[in-house]
Amino acid sequence: MGLFSTNPVAALGRATLEGVAAIGRVGLFAARGISAALSPPWYPRQIIAQFASVGFLSLPVVGLTAWFTGAALALNIYSGGDRFNAETVLPQIVALGITRELGPVLAALMLAGRVASAMASEIGAMRATEQIDAMVTLSTDPRRYLIAPRLIAATISLPLLTLITDIIGVAGGMQVSNYLIDLSPGIYIANTMDFLTAWDVESGLIKSAVFGFIIGLMGCYHGDSAKGGARGVGRATTSAMVSAAVLILAADYLLTSVFALK
Amino acid sequence: MRASWAETIMGFAVLAFAALMLTYALGVSGLKHSSGTYEVSARFGEAGGIQPGAKITVSGVKVGSVSDVTIDPKTYLAVMHLSLSKDVKLPSDSTAKITSDGLLGGAHIALMPGGAEDDLKPGSEINNTQGAVDLFGLIGQFIRPQSGSPAASSADSAAKAPAAAASAAPKAAADLPEM
Amino acid sequence: MTTTAKIAWTGISKRFGAQVVLDGLDLAVAPGRSLALLGRSGQGKSVTLKLALGLMKPDAGQVLLDGVDVTRQSEAERRASFRGIGMLFQGGALFDSLPVWENVAFRLINADGVGRAEARERAVEALSLVKLAPEVADRYPSELSGGMQKRAGLARAIVGTPSLLFFDEPTTGLDPITAGAINELIRDRVTSLGCTAVSITHDMASARTIADELAMLDNGRIVWRGRADELDHADHPLVRAFVTGQSME
Repeated sequence: MGLFSTNPVAALGRATLEGVAAIGRVGLFAARGISAALSPPWYPRQIIAQFASVGFLSLPVVGLTAWFTGAALALNIYSGGDRFNAETVLPQIVALGITRELGPVLAALMLAGRVASAMASEIGAMRATEQIDAMVTLSTDPRRYLIAPRLIAATISLPLLTLITDIIGVAGGMQVSNYLIDLSPGIYIANTMDFLTAWDVESGLIKSAVFGFIIGLMGCYHGDSAKGGARGVGRATTSAMVSAAVLILAADYLLTSVFALK
Repeated sequence: MRASWAETIMGFAVLAFAALMLTYALGVSGLKHSSGTYEVSARFGEAGGIQPGAKITVSGVKVGSVSDVTIDPKTYLAVMHLSLSKDVKLPSDSTAKITSDGLLGGAHIALMPGGAEDDLKPGSEINNTQGAVDLFGLIGQFIRPQSGSPAASSADSAAKAPAAAASAAPKAAADLPEM
Repeated sequence: MTTTAKIAWTGISKRFGAQVVLDGLDLAVAPGRSLALLGRSGQGKSVTLKLALGLMKPDAGQVLLDGVDVTRQSEAERRASFRGIGMLFQGGALFDSLPVWENVAFRLINADGVGRAEARERAVEALSLVKLAPEVADRYPSELSGGMQKRAGLARAIVGTPSLLFFDEPTTGLDPITAGAINELIRDRVTSLGCTAVSITHDMASARTIADELAMLDNGRIVWRGRADELDHADHPLVRAFVTGQSME
């Protein structure tokens, strides 16, 4: 038996079945998580704690990422874009790139690294040390106490973080343009503000809400299904991070194509 | 969750930086959102790439933005809903003209103040409009007669073209051999 | 037996893949009795407890709590029937993100809707019953020794004055003196609460202290059952091997 069975067709079929089963498990987990998040009882303390750890404590890393990305983007457009006079619309390109694509995606990827992995290791360790079983025996539903607050916090925090990313990304582009290519901040901001539409920002925020949910879901799912002690928890942590990142990029493409064809 | 003081302080620092930046941006971006706006409309024969959000200028200074673009189902004219800053009072006979910053630049609406005594009221319509100039249509009219027809008839048909440039062109071409 | 058993496993079967763990298990514990479930490692003792707690579903059979089958209950019904149950997990299973008092008061705060101030008072009271000082209340589980964690876990199990207590290997990983103290505490609590207790253990000293009755689980069934004082005269070879500590070969 196993993947190296003598019949390669059977092996392919088995791998496909396993893939479908995994999608089914994640889907079921997501549906239960959503229903727990949307119906009482809620645990406000847990939700607030998750907002603090997912949202607030992610601010430094997200802020730094945004600033450097905005700054690097501005430099690249200046030096690479002069082949087609793109430097005359530098603020506009930075604004568009940050709000529509880089802000939501980079903030989400940073959170996939920081938050999805932390959720997976925490829940995985709780599973391994019977804390989740203990919670059930204490008449408390772990889905409501552990999973729902994380899904809620991740889905709401990420758009807020993305808003910060948008602002700081533009600031990065502005400051680099000011010091290195002598573009006045006033002109830079005026151009950005004239050019940006509400939809540029809103589409990014809608995307990031989806990314936030993916991060919470992958963190909780992989943590909850961790098996085999410390090693299993380690594997769950990695899987949570990698699967969140891949799903974020795939969802980014899908949502962008929906928005672009709208 | 026990967060360290350093993390908390860093979080507030990032928030403060973003707030500072946002205040600065809103201050710089010409139009103050607090002063309020009023809406007027204008009909154009050709919208020429004006989208909601396009800026509206007077003498090159931004005074508002296009809030909506619709079509009048009876006259087939494009109806622009213009959102103007309350600080800018314009005479009722002002002219609205669709123009662009450059060959490929962003289209916007330029308002030229008229000389009437009374001001444009909120909800009223600007009657004097000048639609977008179809740049590629003009170029097409200029090129088409010369291709595939004899030079003589091209000069005839070019004479019928409305643009002065089109009728001037054959002369310029005729001048060339003498140079 | 004329009275309904407090808890009864009837015809329980459970398999994991090809491996049969429980094979028609029948076991009942009368109200107010303390039973120790003995057995070699991997014989399904933990599975038996987890089935009773609804953490697993049996392939066949019923778990009757006060005569009501809990395996077919909805999660909400089961949570309600857990109000009268306390469980001490092998490693304590304290929530390491919460201070000790919130651990002990977890059910009160999160399931019973007791206010935090009152919950804290009752938690400190429960801590004193397991001989933990009030200062321990504000410490985190990771700052406690193994024995103290077990005591805190016991406090958490008894804080709701349960009528049924489960103990999973209560003395594993403890030195003999601490283990003895924990055994005394369990015996003391079970007696004063007048509740039914089911413990799983392979520690004979522990079993003798905390249990009135003993049952030996082997190959998915109960192979021997008797009172604690009958243990030394039992003729079942596995029981003899347990008592004398000899290998089966």
